[in-house]
Amino acid sequence: MKLDFQFLQSDKFEQNKEVMILIGIILGVLVFATILFYVLGRVKPGAQMKELKMRTNSWWVMASIFVLATLLHPIVSYLAFALLSYMALRELTSISKNIREEDRKVIIWCYLAIPLQYYFAYNGWFNIFIIFIPIIMHVWIPFLLVIRGFTTEIGRAMSVLPMQLMLTVFSLSHLAFLLSLPELEGFNAGGRGLLLYVVFLTEMNDVFQFTWGKLLGRTKIIEKISPNKTWEGFVGGVLTTTVVGYFLRFLTPLTGFEALVVAFSVACSGFIGDIIVSAVKRDIGLKDTGTLIPGHGGILDRIDSLAISAPIFFYLIYNLYYA
Amino acid sequence: MRAFFLWLLYGVLMRFFLRVIVGVKYAHKSVLKEQKQFILVANHNSHLDTMAMMTALPFRQRAKTHPVAAGDYFGGTRLKAYISYLLINAILIRRKKDQAEADPIELMSEALRKGDSLILFPEGSRGEPEKMQEFKKGIGILLQRFPHIPYIPVYMKGMGKTLPKGETLLVPFDCYVLFGNPHMPKSPDIEGIVKEVAEEVHLLKQLFERETREQRN
Repeated sequence: MKLDFQFLQSDKFEQNKEVMILIGIILGVLVFATILFYVLGRVKPGAQMKELKMRTNSWWVMASIFVLATLLHPIVSYLAFALLSYMALRELTSISKNIREEDRKVIIWCYLAIPLQYYFAYNGWFNIFIIFIPIIMHVWIPFLLVIRGFTTEIGRAMSVLPMQLMLTVFSLSHLAFLLSLPELEGFNAGGRGLLLYVVFLTEMNDVFQFTWGKLLGRTKIIEKISPNKTWEGFVGGVLTTTVVGYFLRFLTPLTGFEALVVAFSVACSGFIGDIIVSAVKRDIGLKDTGTLIPGHGGILDRIDSLAISAPIFFYLIYNLYYA
Repeated sequence: MRAFFLWLLYGVLMRFFLRVIVGVKYAHKSVLKEQKQFILVANHNSHLDTMAMMTALPFRQRAKTHPVAAGDYFGGTRLKAYISYLLINAILIRRKKDQAEADPIELMSEALRKGDSLILFPEGSRGEPEKMQEFKKGIGILLQRFPHIPYIPVYMKGMGKTLPKGETLLVPFDCYVLFGNPHMPKSPDIEGIVKEVAEEVHLLKQLFERETREQRN
């Protein structure tokens, strides 16, 4: 492993025009949203802009961290995603009621899987990368649970712990693996372009679904899980995301038609991830966001859509262009 | 010098460790800045409790705030006692009646008379993970003796899961530290004060549960 400490490789970026364009777009969207909510708040003082403003502020923070993490030396990006996986896994194990007190020592093994998985991603060892959690950890964790000898409700722990690893570590590590993909001839944006493309699309998909739902939302789509989600929001969000994905395809090696299919899949899988995590929270009786404790339940809410859309996007791209 | 050393230990190292690795989240921490002298009263489940509170303290208060710890546990030998002072800034008290050692109430009063603050765990020991025990009398005696010093109730959750009593392996779970408003005891007698204080910590616990869990129907 060779580390060079030249953290900002500026010469490389001047070539990567595509990535710079997207960063410009992100900046533009944030500036637009900030000004829009400020003006709306002034024009209609009664309108409830406080929550939207708060959301925009946290988007500023998250976007800055994300853009910085992708712009700096690649190793920073791998570390950042590993840390994100770690915090998401911690949040999930903390709220899960299916993990018994006796399982604490086994949870440490789940955490140990994180550096390994990201090390495989860093080196681009694809074969071990894709089997490590779905196969090796799916055997290793139940084995550890069994030799510890507490059999009461062991089946729950056996299924929940590897599932949590899948949702937080396996899925997010695909974002890091995008950076390890080999260079393609005639495709300039590279792994960073792909990474920005999928993250931007997934997060914007959340925003689009939210916006369309607020504007037109009438028919509840899945009321028992997520009362704010509507058919209008879902369809509007998916269509908007697909169109945006089509126009942003300069970040990917995709053709126009492929971009439509990929963006459509990202939008749908983002929605699926969102409701899966909502359902987990419903089961525990956890509130979506607490006003009292800043950052409560925050990371899961942000990565829920990415957890499903990242691997879907990765395998579509991988099988189309890198396999 | 000492304030700087404790700042490095808690303000920097421990803060990074608790925030990033363990995942401790603070709420309403700003009350600490507004008070000159106080007694922090908290529920006790883990060694992390003291660490989390020392970390939350503002720079100026840290060297002047003493966690009250069990002498038999943290002061078993002279070296242990010295380390407890050096790293935790602790006041060591005996838990069992023993004529040979100084009266715990006297030791704590001395610190308060100097203008210092205390961190008290009136449950006495860490007990079972995530369960609250009954409060002991000491806090009542102190608050009656020093009626001008407010107490700040603190409710902590998650530490008992992360590092419970009797375990050496730390397994990170999200933890929460919730500070209440400073209070002056109203009751004239010791039992009444103890009850009041325990009530405040329980109220914080209820507030926390209301804020994080929705009503299940």
